Parts: sequence; C-alpha cells; structure tokens
Amino acid sequence: MKERNYMPRMLWFTLAVIVGVVGLGLIPPFELWGMSFERVDVLSELRADDNGEEAVVEYTADIERLEEELASMSEAKPEVDIVDSLPEPAPVRYEWIVQEEPMVKRRQLTSAEVAPVGDATVVSIEDFDTLEVTRYERFIDKLADMQDVRIAFMGDSFVEGDILTSDLRDELQTLLGGRGVGFVACDIPFATVRKSVKRTSSGWTAYSVMKPKSTPEALRDRYFISGYIAEGRSGATTRWASTDAFATLDSCSRGRVLLYSRDTSRVLVELNDSLSREFEIAGDDHVREIYVEAPIEAFRLKVLEGSVVCYGASLEGGRGVTVDNFSVRSNNGHAIFGTGATINRQIDQMLGYDLVVLQYGLNIMQPGQRAFSRYRDQLCDMIAYAERCFPDAAILVLGVSDRWIKNEESGVYEPIGSVDALTSYQRAAADSTHVAFWSTADAMATYGGMPQFVANGWAAKDYTHINFAGGRRVAEALARALRTSLAAELQEREAEAQRIAEEARRREAERQMLIDRNMGAAAIVLDSIIEGVAPVANEDVE
Amino acid sequence: MWSKMETLKFDSALWERVASLLEYDAAAPLTLTTGFFLFAFLIFGVGYVVLHRRVTLRNIYVVLFSLYFYYKLSGIYVLLLLFVALSDYLIGRRVARRRERGRGTRGWVALSVVINVAILVYFKATDFFVGLVNDLYGSGTLQWESVVVPAGVSFFVFQSIAYVVDIARGTIAPLRRFTDYLFLLSFFPKMFLGPLVKAREFIPQIEERGKVVTSEDMGRAVTLIAGGLVKYAIIAKALGVLFVAPAFDGEMGEGGLVALMAIYGFTLQIYCDFSGYSDIAVGVALMMGFRLPDNFDAPYKSATITEFWRRWHISLSSWLRDYLYISLGGNRRGRMRTYLNLFLTMLLGGLWHGVGLTFIAWGALHGVALALHKVWLEVVPKAKRVGSEMKLAWRIPAVLLTFHVVAFGWLLFTAEDMAQVGDMLRRIVVNFSFAEIDALVHGSGVAMVLMVVGYAMHALPKSVDMGVQRMVTRLGFVGQCIVVVVVIWMVMQCDMMLAAECGAGGGLPMYAAF
Repeated sequence: MKERNYMPRMLWFTLAVIVGVVGLGLIPPFELWGMSFERVDVLSELRADDNGEEAVVEYTADIERLEEELASMSEAKPEVDIVDSLPEPAPVRYEWIVQEEPMVKRRQLTSAEVAPVGDATVVSIEDFDTLEVTRYERFIDKLADMQDVRIAFMGDSFVEGDILTSDLRDELQTLLGGRGVGFVACDIPFATVRKSVKRTSSGWTAYSVMKPKSTPEALRDRYFISGYIAEGRSGATTRWASTDAFATLDSCSRGRVLLYSRDTSRVLVELNDSLSREFEIAGDDHVREIYVEAPIEAFRLKVLEGSVVCYGASLEGGRGVTVDNFSVRSNNGHAIFGTGATINRQIDQMLGYDLVVLQYGLNIMQPGQRAFSRYRDQLCDMIAYAERCFPDAAILVLGVSDRWIKNEESGVYEPIGSVDALTSYQRAAADSTHVAFWSTADAMATYGGMPQFVANGWAAKDYTHINFAGGRRVAEALARALRTSLAAELQEREAEAQRIAEEARRREAERQMLIDRNMGAAAIVLDSIIEGVAPVANEDVE
Repeated sequence: MWSKMETLKFDSALWERVASLLEYDAAAPLTLTTGFFLFAFLIFGVGYVVLHRRVTLRNIYVVLFSLYFYYKLSGIYVLLLLFVALSDYLIGRRVARRRERGRGTRGWVALSVVINVAILVYFKATDFFVGLVNDLYGSGTLQWESVVVPAGVSFFVFQSIAYVVDIARGTIAPLRRFTDYLFLLSFFPKMFLGPLVKAREFIPQIEERGKVVTSEDMGRAVTLIAGGLVKYAIIAKALGVLFVAPAFDGEMGEGGLVALMAIYGFTLQIYCDFSGYSDIAVGVALMMGFRLPDNFDAPYKSATITEFWRRWHISLSSWLRDYLYISLGGNRRGRMRTYLNLFLTMLLGGLWHGVGLTFIAWGALHGVALALHKVWLEVVPKAKRVGSEMKLAWRIPAVLLTFHVVAFGWLLFTAEDMAQVGDMLRRIVVNFSFAEIDALVHGSGVAMVLMVVGYAMHALPKSVDMGVQRMVTRLGFVGQCIVVVVVIWMVMQCDMMLAAECGAGGGLPMYAAF
C-alpha cells in the first residue's frame, strides 16, 4: 500500500492554526500565578488603528447647552451620610472606615529640595493667565503649602497604559507624598496593558465615548472624562489591585468607587480579598461614591442585585499628589464634548481636581500641514468646557509630541513637518484662553527628538508613539518644569520669610537698643539717686 | 463574548489597510514568526498544493512568492538578490562549458568571488572604514550615510559562491533554468537566516516531481516549529529583554555574579534565538516537502572545540570548511600550514559577523582554540576528537571547559567594545560574591527560571527529542494544531508582557545583523 502523502495537509494545518489563533481572541484577560494574561488579537493590524484618519465620531462643542446644563444642576454640596444610619434622603457618599487614615503632617519642603536635580535643560511652563494670582500659581501654591492636590491627565493613545503619567505620578509622589494609582476605569471594551495597576473584570458591558452609536441612549450623556462606562447586573465584578511596579503604588489607604444606579441596587465591596461589606445604592441619577479608608492592596466591587453603572475606582492615600490617567484612543480631545458636564461636575465635587492636563493633537497632523486654525478653535472650546466642568482647577495644555513619518519614495523617516506649526497653534489657544502651556516637542528635543527616542528604544518604530521608557523621559521633563515653578515659589516664600525674620531681628535689635538706652538712662538716674541718697545714708550710718 | 472583541468592518478602509500591509515597511519586516506570514502561507499554500506535481509551474510559483517574501523583508534589495542570482547563473554556465572543453576556470570563479565579496564588503565594512578614516583624518573627511544591510545578504552570497566553486570542482552540473537557480538562492524559509543549503543536496529536491510528506515528517515539522517558537520567541526574547540586556548595561549593579550570569544568559539566548529561528525554517520547509539540513545539534554538549563547530551553525561551519579552509589548502600543506589555515578560517569567520575588534578577537579565540585542540590531538595519543568517544569522567570536565571557552567567546562577540569585555571580566574576578544570589532570584526570578528551563532542555539526551517527535506525530491533526495554537498564544502573551514591562516588542532575530 502506498503511504499517504501529508503534503496537502500544510494547507489545512495553516487554516486550522489561523482559525485557532483568531479564536484565541475569545479568551478574556485573566490572572494566574500573579501574572496577568491579556486578550490576544492577531487581526489588530487590520482594525482601524489610532492613527486612522476616520475618527469614530466627531463631537462639536456646545458651550451654551453646557451652561444651561450646569445652571440646572444643583450647586448645593452633596451631603455626606454614614451608611450605618438609615440613609434618608439618599446619600451621595457611602463611607466605610475600617482603619482611619493616619493624619500625618508633612514636613515643609525647601526650595533646594524640590529644585530639579541635574543640569538638564528645563522647558518651562508658559502661563498665559491674566489674573492677579493665576490659576496655575494657585495650583503651585497648594503644592507649596503641602496640601493634597489632584491632577487629571487627559490624553490619547500617547499616554495609554499609563505611559508618561505613571512616571510623573511616581516622581511627584516620591517628592511630595501621596500614594496610589488614582482613578482606574471599571471596564474597557478592549484589552489594555497597564503595569501600574492590575484590573480584572467580568460580567460588565463596557462602552466608549468614542462610539456613541453603540452606546445605549440612556448612557450617552452619562460619560465622565474617563471616556468609558460599564454597565453590569448581578454578578458583574471588577477587582483593582495594586502592583509593586512603583514604590508608591504597592498599597494605599483610601479607596473609592464611582457609580450610580437608576433603581435601588445592592453591591459588595471587598478589601484585600477578605473583608467585605454590602451597600444598598439608592436609585438616583446622581453619581454616588463608596468611600473606604483602610489599608488596601486589592479592592473588589461586585454587583449583587439590580443594575449598576460604574465609572471606576480610585486608589489613593496619604497626604500629597494623586494623578489620574484618562487616556482615550483616537481622541483628539473633542471627546470631552461627549462627556456629561453634570457628571464631570459631580465627580469633581467628590475628587476635587486642582490641575487638568490636556494632551492631544497627535492624530490630527497630516504630513506638511501647517495651518490648524480649526483645531485651535476646537481646543479653545475644549479648554472652556474643561474649565466649566472643573471650576477650581488650573488648565495645562501640552503641545503635540514629536512625530516622524516614512517617506513613501525613499522609505526613510523624516519629520512630519507640522509639529512646530501645531505646537504654535496650541500655544495660541492657551494664550487666548489664558491657561498654561508646555511644549512636549521642545522637551523631546532636549533628548534629541524622535529619532533619538527610536534609537534609544524609547519609542515605537512608527516614530509616533513613545513607550514606557520614552514616557519616563517626557515625565521627567514635565516634572522638571513643575519642580522649577514650585522651587521658584518656595524660594520666594523663603526669601519673604527671611525678610520677615530679618525685619523681626532688626526690630528686636532696635528694641534691645532702646531698652539698653532706656535702661542706661534709668540706670544713670538710679545711680544718681543712689549716689544722692547714699552719702546721706552713709552719713546716717556715721 | 463576541461583543468584547472589536469587530472587523468590511469597508473600503479595511482594504486600504490590507493594501498598505502588503507593501514593504522597514519598521515591520516579514519574518516566519509574524502573523502576516501565517496568512501569507495559507494563501501561498493553495497554489502550492495545486501545482506541486507540475515542476516548472510550481518552481516559478515558489520563486515568485519567495521574491515577494524577500521584498517584504528587505524592500528594494530584492533587485540585489536578482542580480547575484543572474550573475552567478551565467558565470556557472560559462565555468561548466570551459570545464567541458578542458580549459581553465580560475578567472571566472575569481570574478564570481570578487563580485560576491565586493557586495559583502560594501554592505558590511564601509561603515567601519569610513569611521576609521574619519577618526584618523578628522570627522567629515569622508561623507557617507550608513546603508541598511540587506537581510540575509551573506547567506545568499555564500551559497552563490559555493554554487560556482562546486561547478568548477565538478561536483555539480550547472542548472539549466535561471528560475531553478533563483529557487536555490531565494527559497523563502531559509532565505533569511539559513540553514545554508548545499547545491548538491538541494537541486534534486527542486527537480523532484510531486512533493511527499510522511506522517513522521509532519510530526517532526510541527515539533520543530513549536519548539523553535518557544526557543526563539519566548526564551531568547524574554531572557534578553528581562535580564541579559540590563545586566550588560550595568542596570543590575556592578556585581561579578550578575556579570557571569549575564554571560551564561547570553550564551543561552544566542543559541535559542538562532537555532529556534532555524528550526522554524526547517519545519516550514519540511511541511512543503523540502528537507533542509540541520543547523544545530545541542552545541553546548560538545566536549571539544572541534566538536562544537560540528554542532553549532553546522551549515556555516561546513561552508567555511569546504570553501574557505580547503581553498586555503586545508591540512594538505603540512602541519604548521594546517594550524594557520584553521586560524585564518576562524578569523575570517569572525570578520564575517562584523568588522570590528571584538569580532576579530572572537574569531581569533576560536581559531587559536581549534589549532590548540589539533596540537593536543597530535601530542596526546589518547586524546579524543569528540565527547562520545570519551569516558564520562573525562567528558564532564571537557564539556564544562568547552562551554566556558565558548561562553567567554560570546562575551567578545556581543560586547560593544573591548572596554566592556574588560569591565565584565574585571567584575567577575574582583567583585564576585555569592551574596548576589538573593538579589538575582528576587529581582530576576523569571529570567533565572527561563535559564534553568532553557539549559535543562538543551541538556536532555537526543532520544528525548526523538520521543517528543514521535509523540507529536501520534497526536494527529487536531492535537498538532492545538500544540501550535497554544504555543502561539504563549508567544503573544510573552510579547505583550515584555511590551508592558520594558516597552520592547517585535524585533528581528539577533543573527539578522550578520
């Protein structure tokens, strides 16, 4: 018998392997032995990528509608209620204090301590505010006062996965105190990798602000600037766990979950996979906060009954800085117009943002394009929108990052030719809206620009996206700028304190002199009196 | 579940993306381990299976696909490949005709060698010489923009030289068709990193009518591909990114133990990287019914340096032996000349990897070691050539000694400059402390596990390899598919983890640089 020829099998074999590998995309992310496994996607290159020209949706600003919406929103501060007492009326904040956070007073830092180390060129933050005390200065003042500050870092895929922000957070927390990764979404409709936090979720349906058409009508105006919303019924669960990727992230002392439910629902919050507590969430449209104080390494939310819409959780703690990463793929910044102003304001009242960073523009550049006036106008609207949602925050616009593209003829990479132009339009937008501005491209140039980033392995070979190593450099540069501002403020204060101290010393010296002089006069009088009396006395004795 | 996967929209934008994927992209060269190759291989397979009995059509079909593969890998340099093929095809015919008529062939062989070597030198050494001149006479003396080296250039150049020399020596007859010669040079599985094929062994396979793959072949191919992926895309890649690169860069402190482990790590990494990719190439070719020679045979089990070169990059060392060592006179010109020839062969072999002091030193080390071993064999009558002839008590220290010569050779090979070599050696001698074990286990636990697993796999006897192959053969179609899919899943997870950890992803095999 002739043996069978298996050669044609290479075809079926390849086909079966392809089907199998595509099918692997069905395996959801999971964790095993402390390693997190992500969803794999072999067809990713065929899907619309970040640089895809066809943005999923283009929102336009409607500041007028925004004003109306915010005006109708009750400005009264939501009342805090303890969950143990019967909540009536429905509380906005449910508190669970397992172990009260120790109130440590931080030592006042000196200008020498916060001044940037090394002699690297500092690309300064340009402040275009016209107020007597600018909003950026107010932010720096809070840092100088050693108060708690919270930063919202809004960006596109450039900062996805906590690129840049994780190192910025690390540097600020190491310097100024504070712990924890900050806000992390509940569930996202695609796989992401983030080493600063481990998030595992199941049972949710997640929606993105970039895809309003696939978002249910009732949720469309309910987005927070995080850009992702997750809806879940009983059984839906998410676990946020700290990692030891950064020194300040391994544990924290406060945790919050931001959620709401239209009708009353019950959820379970579990700490460190052991301690747990049930909360009944009163049915209401207002965003609710479950606030926990305890030493937290892992934080789980589970829906027990009813339907819950969850934004995410925040892991934070200690006195100091919290940095929230809000990255939305393919977003040029306009997605903020798709977020609910009321929601943003409600959450701002809970979290209290002091600085909102807007990092966008990478996706709008076309080779050689030099005019971006339409984008500048949009950016002005974004800034206005952010200002109204976060009234107490300073706004910092980041210029677009350096980007090179491949010359189709020669196959070599060259500057896209529109970075400088877009940067100047972004600066102009900051100028006309009186907010702060920082040029990312200039900062990258101090390291040699994008080719050097690629050469050093700090950026992807697409000459567009930096990686973690590159993000660290940009974060360092931004931290240098912030530290320079802070050091200047502290130096001013130290000089002022010194002036006051000197003044006091001078007064004291004067007083002493006066006392001396008066005492001298008094002494002479006294002496003369004694002298005048003494002979008499002596005489008396005699 | 499906809702969580992003759906693929079949719109015009999709076709634009497909079209752009089909074009050459310097940032994403095509290798056998890309997802693109998997899809391309499926489409290629349809035509191949249909045509495999029609020799001429099949060969033209494979050549066209190979040329496209090379274009996706190296862009415009596909023209260079065509040029080399054409020039040596014509020279080969001329040499054969002159041989038939009993006339000298030296001039034509020399022409072929000069053309091929000139190409190699142009792409590999110009940078070095321009740098040298500019160092000597001030920068800017020579204006030169460094060129990208065409992928696999030395592999096709070497095979082309061998083809002409073989015709001149009369071991093969020249190929009649140009496309057949192009097939020999450009066959896509081995295009990039070898193994180098011998014309004598490969030509019959090109001319064979109908391709036959047995059940055992299929099992062996799957084992080679899956094992190759584990070695190349998991062990080598992760070990390099997580441990070897940072340890060499001094990011893990100045300790001696770390330096030593980094050398051991690189030794395993370069083996896994290179042999893993070679195995995949052999496996892919085998599925198509082509038998490529084995390129590696557990080289670190060698008990002598001579044995090492029979087990490491076998196709290159036998090329060096057949076309360089023998052309220099081999061992037929007296003892001293034999040693010198060995030394020169290895020195040139070192130079081939890159023009620079470290590569010269690496080649010299191996040349001296080989010559010394030859001397040892002649001086000590009981000395053995290979480990299998030795007693165990001799064999173990011999393997350890050989391993260390090779490992420290790799230090020369991978170091940026001689200063780094000196620094690493100084660390091992002066700064050695077992106290670092703790930091290694805690700081680089995963890398240490990979190293143990990698060396353990390497140490297994060959019978285990054969057993695994038989097992995979018995798994049948479904089982084999599952094995490969699971390995691919592991590779993708590993890639994502490394990308998240260090921002490193993708990349080419290390040997792509040579």
